[in-house]
Amino acid sequence: MFLIFALITLIGAAALVFQRNLVVAGLCLVLCFMGVAGLFLLLLNPVAAALQVIVYSGAIVVLLLFVIMLLNEHEEEPAVRARPLQRWLSVAALVALGAGAVRLVAGSPLLRQLNAGLAAQAPGAVTLATLGNALMGDHLVAFEVAGLLLLAAMVGAVALVKRDL
Amino acid sequence: MTSLNAILTGGLQGYILVALLLFVIGLGAVLGRRSILLQFMGVELMLNAANVALLAFARFRGSDVNGLAFYLVIIAVAACEASVGLGLVVGLYRHRLSTDTDRADALKQ
Repeated sequence: MFLIFALITLIGAAALVFQRNLVVAGLCLVLCFMGVAGLFLLLLNPVAAALQVIVYSGAIVVLLLFVIMLLNEHEEEPAVRARPLQRWLSVAALVALGAGAVRLVAGSPLLRQLNAGLAAQAPGAVTLATLGNALMGDHLVAFEVAGLLLLAAMVGAVALVKRDL
Repeated sequence: MTSLNAILTGGLQGYILVALLLFVIGLGAVLGRRSILLQFMGVELMLNAANVALLAFARFRGSDVNGLAFYLVIIAVAACEASVGLGLVVGLYRHRLSTDTDRADALKQ
């Protein structure tokens, strides 16, 4: 099950990078976010999975697709000039980062220790009630700041797009 | 090879590996594509990679609810980033009639 969702996530993400059509790339993004939601379910976190589907593959991708269709730019424009050096450097950096990630994860004793510790714990899903208690208790300031940030972003987005304020 | 087994069957290593590879793919979209909308999608992928790692660690620390609270705040920041970022994209298109980041080089001249 884990392998299926992991493959959905990674294939969706890889398809996004190699996609020519921007609208199809947006739909690949939805596929990838759905895979991530499945991973959250496997982590016994149904609240996060629901939020992932609603906020990411719902709100953010719909906004993105609206902007793509509004701008009428469904394909990437031809390059002003080819930059082979930058292209090869970025590919080399990505390959190095990916190989380093695999080596680091496979060889880490700390991850193995944390992984082995799971068997000793009682399995319990994170529920909305415990989340509400944590949010209103320990994380009240963060909650309020997030609300303020959303308001500021809303006003800022309107101010950016409006032609003459 | 216990690590390989844990990666394939959904141990902590598997989730962390998926998160890291998702981050690398998102970085590839930002570095390799010229359309600012695709670069924006790459940034969203990288943000999601951080979320996967966060919630995986929260699960393997005994279903820690603080991880979910952090995830909620990250989602709020991602929503703000999406609205302001797409506002900037629309503004850029209005000025230059292009979403190509190579063509947006006014600060270089």
